[in-house]
Amino acid sequence: MNESRRIALLGLLVPGAVLVLWQVVAFAKSSPLFPGPIEVTQAIIRNWHEIVSNLGVTLMRAAAGFALATVIMVPLGIFLGRVRWLGEAVSPVIDLVATLPPPAIVPLVMLFAGTGDAAKIVIITYAAGMPLIMNTYEASHTIHPMFSRVARSLHLTRFETMLLIDLPSSLPMIATGARLAVASSLLVSITSEMLLATNGIGVYLQRSQENFQIGSGLAGIAFISAVGIVINALAYRIEQKLLFWHYRR
Amino acid sequence: MTDILTARNVAKDFGGTGGTLSIIDGLNLAVKKGEFVSLVGPSGCGKTTLLLCLAGLQSLTRGEITFKGVPVMEPPQGLAVVFQDYSRSLLPWNTNLDNILFGMRRVAGDARAKRDRAAELLEAVGLGGFGGHYPWQVSGGMQQRVAIARGLASESELLLLDEPLAAVDAQTRADMQDLFLDLARKFNQTCLLVTHDVEEAVYMAQRVLVLGPRPTKVVREVTIELPRERDQLETREDPAFLAARHEVLSLIRSMRTRKAA
Repeated sequence: MNESRRIALLGLLVPGAVLVLWQVVAFAKSSPLFPGPIEVTQAIIRNWHEIVSNLGVTLMRAAAGFALATVIMVPLGIFLGRVRWLGEAVSPVIDLVATLPPPAIVPLVMLFAGTGDAAKIVIITYAAGMPLIMNTYEASHTIHPMFSRVARSLHLTRFETMLLIDLPSSLPMIATGARLAVASSLLVSITSEMLLATNGIGVYLQRSQENFQIGSGLAGIAFISAVGIVINALAYRIEQKLLFWHYRR
Repeated sequence: MTDILTARNVAKDFGGTGGTLSIIDGLNLAVKKGEFVSLVGPSGCGKTTLLLCLAGLQSLTRGEITFKGVPVMEPPQGLAVVFQDYSRSLLPWNTNLDNILFGMRRVAGDARAKRDRAAELLEAVGLGGFGGHYPWQVSGGMQQRVAIARGLASESELLLLDEPLAAVDAQTRADMQDLFLDLARKFNQTCLLVTHDVEEAVYMAQRVLVLGPRPTKVVREVTIELPRERDQLETREDPAFLAARHEVLSLIRSMRTRKAA
């Protein structure tokens, strides 16, 4: 057996041991409030459709909020980095707003946007937008002066400079911001559902808990973490592809 | 021949916490079309500041710089710069060929013709097979050659060179000096080379302008009485070369001792 295979096996062994231990304890306790992996698996099969459709709704909202945040905040951050006086004026406001936890603005948003999808997407956009704008601005206003000199001596317009120099050279830091934004859009998507929604995985989890269906709840959590792993892997792939010049240097 | 670039009574101060610092004061110079001129001076005399001023990348405190008779406020059309720091002046997310094409954004012509021309220039700097590589995949000397090709690609009437060979090794340096002279002649390129290397200044140019200590100005003009065709061995042993080298070097050395005293 070679080294990598052994490591892979070890990687399976530990979670496997945890599952076995969990099942043993569940057997010993034999309580509906402490379901074992077998019950959870049964719950996954039983609630498959319900979980998938709810999680789909949650993910759609998260994706919409994330996309909206990217489309607004990345160009804004680049612009503020280039138009120096405006950046200096606006960045303290950004720092101030960024300290606000997203759930804190829920009542305010409800006042203006109601309790529907729009309200949730606004909150997610806010949550995802903060790390995006902060990282984009930080990157674009600390661009090496050499890049600016090159842009000016090649007679690029301001717009061309932002699009062709500032944006690509800020991408590594934007990617870091985007990774944080993905995590917080998922998080806020679920928590906002618990506060104001009739569907979504957050509602499903809350309902399971309220009805003491712990197995169903754990089934939902298992699903979320699986989706999280897939999203992370996907984001990693995209980042490697876009930033090959940054990582292979 | 007409002056393509002139500087009249140029002065540049930098305001700092410890009062203003005068970098350039009372500087005059002129570069004619088709010439290869070197600007050489002791280290720390303000060469890079001067180059940035000449390129329109730095504002002046007093005086005037003109390019083709027009006062320089912003980097003028028709003037290109090859920076010393090639690792930052080339865009790492573009291939070498695309970096050269980037220098041609303001050049007229269709995409196909530009691409051919960029490939031709890459060939001319000896990097024919490296168009698809990225700058970080090739050596420092090769990167600087890409930067030079980009400078030439902009089809500028004047190329400002900020110590373009300072960061490459001695062997590559000699080769690149010849490559440069060759290209300058081939494309009839007017060049102003800023350098701290006296030998290089004399070897490359038809005229050497010697800069004084800070606040700097042109303190002497040395005409190099050598044919345009240069050779690393013969030129460097030519009495005219040695005389010019001696004149410039002793002048710069005298500035240094005066400063130390």
